[in-house]
Amino acid sequence: MGDRWGTIQKRDRAGGAGQWRGAGLVARLAGAAVRFVRWWRLSRSRRVEWRAQAIRDPKERLRYLRAAMGTVSLGNEDAPARFTRWRAGAVGIAVLAAGVLLAPAWESRSVEAVGLDREIPLEDAGAGEDRGPGKVWLVEEKDGHEVFSNGLRVETAYAVSNEPRRVMQFEEGGRMVVAGSARPRGIVFHTTESHIAPFEESENQRLRRVGKWLLEFVRDQRAYHYLIDRFGRVHRVVKEDDAAWHAGHSLWADREQTYAYLNHSFLGVAFESVTNPGGEIGAVVTPAQIHAARTLTEMLRGRYRIAAVNCVTHAQVSVNPASFLIGAHTDWAAGFPFSEMGLPDNYERPLAALYAYGFGYDDEFVRATGARMWKGLALSEDQVRQEATARGIPVRNRRDQLRQQYRSILARIDGAAPAPAGAHSRGEAVHSLKRTATRTAGEKRTEEVRE
Amino acid sequence: MKNPNVIGLDVGTSRIVTARSAGGDKFEFAKQLNAFVSVPFSKMVERSLERDGVRYDVQGDHLIVVGDDSPRFADLLHVETRRPMTEGVLNPAEPESVPVIRKIIEGMVVDGDNRPTVWFSVPAAPLNAEEGLTYHEATLRQVFSDLGCEVQSINEGLAVVYSELEDTNYTGIGVSCGGGLCNVSLSFLSMPAMSFSIPKGGDFIDASAASVTGDLANRVRLTKEENFHFNGHFVDKLHQVLTVYYEDMMLSLINSMKEAFSDTRRMPKLNRPIPIVLAGGTSCPPGFRDRFERLLRATKFPVEISEVRMAQDAMTATARGALIAALTEAD
Repeated sequence: MGDRWGTIQKRDRAGGAGQWRGAGLVARLAGAAVRFVRWWRLSRSRRVEWRAQAIRDPKERLRYLRAAMGTVSLGNEDAPARFTRWRAGAVGIAVLAAGVLLAPAWESRSVEAVGLDREIPLEDAGAGEDRGPGKVWLVEEKDGHEVFSNGLRVETAYAVSNEPRRVMQFEEGGRMVVAGSARPRGIVFHTTESHIAPFEESENQRLRRVGKWLLEFVRDQRAYHYLIDRFGRVHRVVKEDDAAWHAGHSLWADREQTYAYLNHSFLGVAFESVTNPGGEIGAVVTPAQIHAARTLTEMLRGRYRIAAVNCVTHAQVSVNPASFLIGAHTDWAAGFPFSEMGLPDNYERPLAALYAYGFGYDDEFVRATGARMWKGLALSEDQVRQEATARGIPVRNRRDQLRQQYRSILARIDGAAPAPAGAHSRGEAVHSLKRTATRTAGEKRTEEVRE
Repeated sequence: MKNPNVIGLDVGTSRIVTARSAGGDKFEFAKQLNAFVSVPFSKMVERSLERDGVRYDVQGDHLIVVGDDSPRFADLLHVETRRPMTEGVLNPAEPESVPVIRKIIEGMVVDGDNRPTVWFSVPAAPLNAEEGLTYHEATLRQVFSDLGCEVQSINEGLAVVYSELEDTNYTGIGVSCGGGLCNVSLSFLSMPAMSFSIPKGGDFIDASAASVTGDLANRVRLTKEENFHFNGHFVDKLHQVLTVYYEDMMLSLINSMKEAFSDTRRMPKLNRPIPIVLAGGTSCPPGFRDRFERLLRATKFPVEISEVRMAQDAMTATARGALIAALTEAD
């Protein structure tokens, strides 16, 4: 037994030793298998490479290699190799939804008129003493330019004709209304609100190129009578005898007359410039432009006997008949250098649109005008209030009466002398040039105001 | 014989490049800057654009000029060019990125009723960082699908390998130094063994140099593209600063490759030294290859490198590689 047990034990021991020996063999075999697989792999890749080398066409070789080396994604390995249609669609929907959510909310503009409490008597309104400029005469007229006695040089290479200025005057509400006159009665100063380059020597090429674009554009649109470029060169655009499409819906008045549709009664002078909200000068202009504007104003006033009170800015005369708000355009709403032009501060003038025709203004316009125009606004408001009090009616009712007068003027102009074909669209094109930047301060959007 | 129905497209941060087969071994390429200018609408500018034959789009109250014309108009109108992409992917801070890139791609890819199959390049995930490429790739796929094109993507570094390493059976390291990223792909017999990107490229160099010199980054970029080279001695500060940041980018690239290729678990068994091929707009300055190789040889690189070479045309190599991949599938 003992032997048997011993034998068995021995056998067991022998068996155990055999198992150990067997495990070692397996390990050795496994190692060999791994080495074989490695060798096989290496060999296979070498075989593939050798075969690939024999393929002369690179495309074919690449095709063979990719097939032989296995199917792999050629894209980013960590990214999904293929996007299913529904996934792509879902991403598209998400992109669209984000776009909708992030779309800027258009701010609706207030159309409420802003009241003023300041008491400023209308009699003090500063029309200023108008001695008129000294005599200015044409010194030289050559092909391409004219020179005047005050040093003004007018470039005429771009001058074009437009429709002759119409003559139209009638009485309405006890005042003479001028909707067109043979002789220019005033000047409206504009800014082009076009793209401008920094005024530096290194930017010369760009300044000239942009200036040329602008000149060609305003010429094609018959936009102004004169354009003063960044270098202070004065270009005649539309001949002075003709109308230019610079101030379609507009109103102004002096002591005697109301002027409506100033295209046919006022000359348009534009600075190549953009509005400069909050600046002491209301637009980005160069000293050369200011000097040129002064000499041009002198020449025009002298030639056409234009009263100083009728030299105004576009923001002062622009109106929107649909909303009965002034300031449809806000170029030169503030900071026009009247004194540098040899003019009184016409920002102190009451605005006919307000006091005579019931227009209002909104807080955006007030922001655009700044402090200098407040006096004129206050005077106008005060006059309407006084008239309402005198008639024993609310201010609102008085405004309605005044608005009715303006509607009558419009009806008479439209009925007697409808706007010539194309004039309206050209006016729109001109004013699409303008950005009411000051009205949309803080927003990077442009608002095109149609006249 | 021309095959107009397959296009290789390199959608880079700075440029979009298309490659088409022009018959036989010939390819033809087209490039557009991946940039745009948005200016407030004005009739004057619109007319000027029309007169000059410039492609533009009206979006809301803005005029959008895309592609190669954008820097010229940005300069003239004194506005900044904007970029639909940054660091190799769609710019998340640019609301116009998708419509603009769609506009550029449409102009380059779509010809009448023809809708080609497009293979476009995508960057690899950044090394040691979470990949954020899904949105980019999915959006571009959506753009192509909307245009009616069949679409497939290809890793940018791998495309460089396909373009340039035919003589080594597509074994080697393809490096594409672009505007936003440097993309690296190690390929073994056409298989991408490892791919990654680093977030340094031309924009990094421009911005870093600009912060030192006080110039605008755009101006630095223009100087870099027009005059910069590595050979010789520079007296002007901008050149010196550009050299410093170029070397910084190269060292980052080499160190990243060292780190990635030291991970032997993912490395294929290479039985001989392999080449590195450099491509992309940022690798274009003369002397770039020499400087890169000098810095590479100065490090203990885990992979034996046979040579460092430039792509035949650094600007078009990625698009060419994408087209080659597309052609192998198309025939």
